[in-house]
Amino acid sequence: MKKHFWPTKPHQLNTKNDGLITFIDYKSKRFRILYGVIIFLLLVAVLTALLPIGILFLSSYKTTLELYATPFQFFPQLFEFKKIFAVWNEVNFGKYFLNTLIVVIGAAFFAVIINGLLAYGVAIVKPRGYRIAFTLIMASYMIPTVLAIVPLYQSIVDLRLINNYLPLWLMFGANAYYFIIFKNYFDAIPKSLIEAARVDGASELRIFFSIIIPMSKSIIGLVAIFAVTAAWSDFLLPYLVLQNSDLQTIMVLLFLKSSDAQFAPDKLLMLSLISIIPQIVIFFVFQKQITGSTLNSGLKE
Amino acid sequence: MANHATKKNNKYSWAKFKKDFGGWLIMLPGLLLFAFFVWIPLSKNVYMSFFTTIGFDTDQFAGFGQYQRVFNDPEFINALGNTFEYLFWSLIIGFLIPIFLGLLLSETVHFKGFFRISIYLPAVLSGLATSILWAYIYDPNNGGMLNTILQSLGLDPIMWTNDPQLAIPLIVVSMTWKGAGATALIYLASLQSVETTQYEAARMDGASLWTRMFKITLPTILPTISTLFILQIISVMQVFYEPLLITKGSSASMSLLLLGYNYAFDSKYSGTGLGGGGYHSTAGQSAATAVILTIIILGLTAAYFALTKVITRKKK
Repeated sequence: MKKHFWPTKPHQLNTKNDGLITFIDYKSKRFRILYGVIIFLLLVAVLTALLPIGILFLSSYKTTLELYATPFQFFPQLFEFKKIFAVWNEVNFGKYFLNTLIVVIGAAFFAVIINGLLAYGVAIVKPRGYRIAFTLIMASYMIPTVLAIVPLYQSIVDLRLINNYLPLWLMFGANAYYFIIFKNYFDAIPKSLIEAARVDGASELRIFFSIIIPMSKSIIGLVAIFAVTAAWSDFLLPYLVLQNSDLQTIMVLLFLKSSDAQFAPDKLLMLSLISIIPQIVIFFVFQKQITGSTLNSGLKE
Repeated sequence: MANHATKKNNKYSWAKFKKDFGGWLIMLPGLLLFAFFVWIPLSKNVYMSFFTTIGFDTDQFAGFGQYQRVFNDPEFINALGNTFEYLFWSLIIGFLIPIFLGLLLSETVHFKGFFRISIYLPAVLSGLATSILWAYIYDPNNGGMLNTILQSLGLDPIMWTNDPQLAIPLIVVSMTWKGAGATALIYLASLQSVETTQYEAARMDGASLWTRMFKITLPTILPTISTLFILQIISVMQVFYEPLLITKGSSASMSLLLLGYNYAFDSKYSGTGLGGGGYHSTAGQSAATAVILTIIILGLTAAYFALTKVITRKKK
């Protein structure tokens, strides 16, 4: 998988020997023109993907008047970098940022530990009747959980967990997608290793923490990254649960500001920009793990 | 469960019991959370849909009363139609693009990493933030980006998402922008599993590029195409954030899931706002809507599996 990213030596068309079109085809001029078309189309795709993010950046630095002005200007007349801090201070973003960090870290922790243990049980321990649990979990992968938001909200109210981070953390412990990622990984771990520990009298919990976890650092990292990104973006349950503004997360703030007519449109765009910058940073730091996981999964039938 | 098993089987050893008991103990926290966050709420929803409600609590058994109410509500019928319209446009606009992008990506030898990472990026961004961005781009009022550009060119403004004909296709465009790159990488993974020897054999037989593509490439990735087809159907039937934020829940873009949510939490519907609750609460209608949507999704999934079964049998 690694060789597909950042190739170690420069690849050339006349050595390309895999895929649909190879160096044999590229001997003809027609195919070399086709390759140019492929690169051109991909550049168009990249531009399409990145342009709206660029628009967000440039528009958030315009004044409200500039947003309305014709003729349309791509660039803000006055690029004041400080504006990002002005908006940050105006909405007291630091508070929301901290709250979001608390939610995100807790969510990643429970996403890893709880789904990991569950997958370990299903993939490796396989106690009697484990298939029932497996089937139920897989069924929840197909059925959208947003559909059950009303009874869930009601249960949270009944347990007096409104204005509490606990439900937001624990929700990530019941995620069928993370469970499947863990299970696929654990399925490939050689059984002999675990049998040996079991013969030595180690408990299942001990095997999990002393053998499985050290072996699974990469997959744990991956699930943690996914959980961090997802918890950062999560909006519906935080909006319903966090009614006290001192506890609210960035996404709740963003939603409330988006329906606040008093909040200027350029500031709303700036706020959207601030709220996705951490996601962009995380993505660029962990790009290989994130895109690599998609490539590795290959979505087996 | 482990205790139960010990009685049934005489040969059941202490070691086996320890393994079973330990296994279920390890799975217990996860199972409890799945029960609390998924299984119980889903079952409660079904139960609730057969009752009248006070606030969020069930009151009296109503049989199919809530379902009748829902089907007599023009807003529900509208949202039902819209949801299938989302499905239609997402298959037209969003289904082929990732396959095409995956094919292009698998043939490049230059800037591989750059192409892959750039087109994947929109997928990791918060849907709330990107929806606010698209709301600005499409805004039909003064200050919307596309209309400002049109006016600068001396053209008449377009109603964009305020136009009932355009609302859903435009929302689907924004969804495709966000999701297509990530999906293309799944196709890329599948394309990389095609054996090079297959292509070589075909080339020896003098097969053209198109023959190779239609006889080797596409048949090999067909299982992936088919799986992603049903996954896309399942996910687009649950469109929620985009109509909520891009069009502020206008009736031309209202989806079933958003309507179901509104029935429960929007004060517009008989005063059952957040924290509040009126006697004639519409929480039961919300439950019925959620059950109907689940049935539609399960029905489409079942139809898909039946169809793929028939097709694979015919091939044999």
